[in-house]
Order: sequence, then structure tokens, then C-alpha cells
Amino acid sequence: MVYVLGVLLPENQLTRFALTHFYGIGHKTAHRVCARFQIHDRCRVKDLTPTQLTSITAFLSSPSTAQPVQRVPLASPTFGPKLGPITPDTQSTPTLKPNTSGSTSLTNAKGGNDPLRNLKIETELRREIRENISHQRMIGSYVGRRHAMGLPVRGQNTQNNAKTAKKLNRIDRW
Amino acid sequence: MKFPMSETNPMKVYGLPKTVATEFRLLSKPCSVIRDVTLKVLGKLDAASKKSSFHSRMVLTGSSGCGKSYTLIQGVEYAAANNWLVFYFPYVINTVNSSTSYIYDPRTRTYLQPAYASQTLQNFVTVNSQLIQKLKVSDDVPIEGRATIPKGAPLADLIAVGAKDQNSAPVVLSALLEILGKQTEYPVLLAIDDFQALYCKTSYKDPRFSMIKSYHLSMPRLLLEYASGKKSFARGAVLGALSTANTTFSVPVELQESLKLNHGTTSPYIKRSQELISYAEGLTNVPVPETLGVPEAASLFDVWMKDKAISHDSGDELFMSKYSEAGGNPRDFVWKGLLVTMAS
Repeated sequence: MVYVLGVLLPENQLTRFALTHFYGIGHKTAHRVCARFQIHDRCRVKDLTPTQLTSITAFLSSPSTAQPVQRVPLASPTFGPKLGPITPDTQSTPTLKPNTSGSTSLTNAKGGNDPLRNLKIETELRREIRENISHQRMIGSYVGRRHAMGLPVRGQNTQNNAKTAKKLNRIDRW
Repeated sequence: MKFPMSETNPMKVYGLPKTVATEFRLLSKPCSVIRDVTLKVLGKLDAASKKSSFHSRMVLTGSSGCGKSYTLIQGVEYAAANNWLVFYFPYVINTVNSSTSYIYDPRTRTYLQPAYASQTLQNFVTVNSQLIQKLKVSDDVPIEGRATIPKGAPLADLIAVGAKDQNSAPVVLSALLEILGKQTEYPVLLAIDDFQALYCKTSYKDPRFSMIKSYHLSMPRLLLEYASGKKSFARGAVLGALSTANTTFSVPVELQESLKLNHGTTSPYIKRSQELISYAEGLTNVPVPETLGVPEAASLFDVWMKDKAISHDSGDELFMSKYSEAGGNPRDFVWKGLLVTMAS
């Protein structure tokens, strides 16, 4: 049994599904996290190397400050690798197109196409939800009032049902 | 024809495709029937043993259940019995379906698959241990993090390094294939089942979550290079077999056009990858007949009858009825014809 950031990951489970044990990570995000650290789909938690485990832990502890992934050069069919250590002289560095637009898609505020940049899990995510609810209350909105009364927020019927809302809805939820 | 199941038998060491493995488990001793296409393939292998593998790159094609995997196994067994060095990949889909570890290597600019390469080396040395005793390393092989294997060292030493240490296995495997390509002592057979998987879209994702192409993964790239003739063995052949079992990895357009399987029915508007077209050049189509001949079906019936797999009073009537129901298709004849009699 492996503990990562306080969450227990079962050893025999596939890593791709074990990561969904985190609050805020579903199947799609888990798949992306595995791809980020080059973990194949059939890899079980017990098969993870210590390096991979540390890198996942480091990433999930603060996803927003993680280094963005760089594009790597890939071999064309006619590429022939040279034996021996890599030095700038022995390998011809491929000319990647320079970025003329100023900011790359991964550095803009919204995170561009990379959902992992804005990933929030566990306490951070719960804090964000708490803040959203208290913000609604502070501005005196209908949504905030419904949370305060412990009733359904999204226009559901209250004549019958509404049991989940009556049980769970409150300002200090999470 | 019974297969000798010794400890170094390629089928036992490398494994088998799923359908074939199930049938061999049901039979008390693994057997297969010799057909005309078997003799044709064995004849081609005999011719290939004298020339470069560039001229002998064959792919067995045919409809579902017509006997491509079986014919490939017969070729592998024949080669092993005739002192060929044999590489057999019974389920090459495992290299592209994200079931083995992968890691980017800046030197080769591809994603290495260390675990699969290491396993391949271990299997190779088990099957061909007798033959490689005579072979030596032809050039210095530098390995990262380890001492260079010098020229003239026994080949078994080089393979042992890769078999033990997964990190150096991909380098060792490609160096081994180059050395085997230069030597002319023994011909080399590269037998690949599920051949079409090498040309399909893989299930691997790179760190930016885009799909990794098959020729950017080390194992498929190595097999594609030998299949396309970009690299070749001085003596030997590349023998592949298509498979219709897995629909996620079906035969792509580029391979269909190279083997002339589509009879001109694919639309010209479908995008074709130029890289895959270059990797599919020069492949020879060896069609496996759709139906068994009656004498071949009769000998297959004999095999199962003698194995006491059929509970009915077996005779000509049962044989002809099951043969016609299956339409001569070998898999249907055995699975839906003969084995179904056990259930009733």
C-alpha cells in the first residue's frame, strides 16, 4: 500500500485508475497525469519506479508550479542515431520553429490546451468550492440564499424529494 | 505433423497467439496439418536462406480463420529445425497497446521500450543458445553507463548485458540485429504475427497527451525497418502474418495498398501517411487459401479424432456435414464443427 499526499493507493490497482482516488482527479485527468510521466496504461502501482512515484508526488503537491512539458524532437524514418554520448557536435540539433507570437499556449493565464496546469486537488479544491459558496452568500445572490437555507440550488422541485440538498447544502460545506 | 516441444522450442519460449494457444491446450500434443501453402512458404524460406532478407519480406494474408498464424508457426518451426536464428513475435500488438513501459531517449529521438526488449533478448538466447556460441561481436558496442563490449567478444556476453539490465536492452537488441545482419553463418528469420499492428495508431501518449506514432517507438520501429528493407540480414527473411482478431488494430490503408488487398476500393480522399507508405514498400503478399482442401480437412479431422476429442460416432458423414457447414474455413471447421460435438 502506497501513501501519496495522504491518499492510499492500492498496490495491485492500475495506476491510471488508482490516481482517481484523489479528490479532484477523474479518469481523464488521471490518464493525462500518467502520460505526463510516461506511465503505460497497464502499469500497476507496485510496478512504479521510485523516480516516477516521487515525480507524481511532486507534481500533485502543486500542479500550477510544475514545469511545462517541452516538445521533444522525434526521429524521421531516415534518422540514424549515432552511438556514444550525446554532445552538441555529434548530434545535429533539429531546428524547431521559433515562437513568434510572444506567449506560448502553455504559458497563458488559462493554461492553454493543457488541463493539468490548472489542476486543483484535495484541500485546494475544497477551499475553492468553499470560497465560491461564501462568495455567492456575500453578494446576496439566490444561489447563496439557497445554500444558507439548505435547499436545492439549481431550480429542482421541493414539494417532494430535495432530500440530498436538505442533508448536505450549507455555507460551510467542505 | 507433431511439433517437438523441447525446452528451446520457439513456440514454448516466445509464446503463441491466443487462439492457437487454446487449441494446443485442448490437444494432448500440439499438431498442425501440412497444406499446400505450408509447402509454398517453406520453399520460399529455403530460397531466402541463401540471399538477403531485403528480397524475402513476405506477409501472409487471408480472411478470418483461414490459417495465417498456423502457417507462420510452421515456418518458425521449420526454420528452427534447419539451424536458422529465429525471432518470433506471437502478439506484436503488445508493443503498441500501451502495455509495456516506455521512456523517451534523446539520442535515438524515439521512445524506448526497455522491458519488452529485455524479454525479447532473454527469449532469443533461450531458443538459439546452441547456434550463437560460434558467433562473435563484429564491432565495438558502446553502452551507456557500462563498459563497451569489445570487437571479438562472444555474442552471448552482449546479450547477457541486455537481458540483465533493462535500461541497456534496446541498444543491445538493435546492435544484436545489426551483428546478425552482417554474419553469413546462419540465416535469420524475423517472424511477426499481428503484422498490421506495426502500421496502426498506437495507444501510447506522449507527455503532451498526443498519440505516439508506431515508428517513434523503439520496438515497432526496429521491426518496421527490417520489414521495409531499410535494414536487412545478409541471409534471412522477414515473415509476417496479418490478424483479424483485434478490431482496434485493423489493417490500415497504407498496408492494404502495399499488399494490394483492397482491390481498388479505398477512397483516394483518405489521408495516407507518407512515412508508413515508405515502411510498407516492397512487401510480398502470400495469400493463404480461404478454404481447406478435402484431403487437408480429412487429416485435420483425423488429428482430432485420434485425440478422442469428438464424442460422436465419427465417420465420413460427420466429417462431410461439418466440412460443408464450415464452408471449408479451418477455424470454423474445428471450433464450430468438431468441438461443438463435445457439447451436444
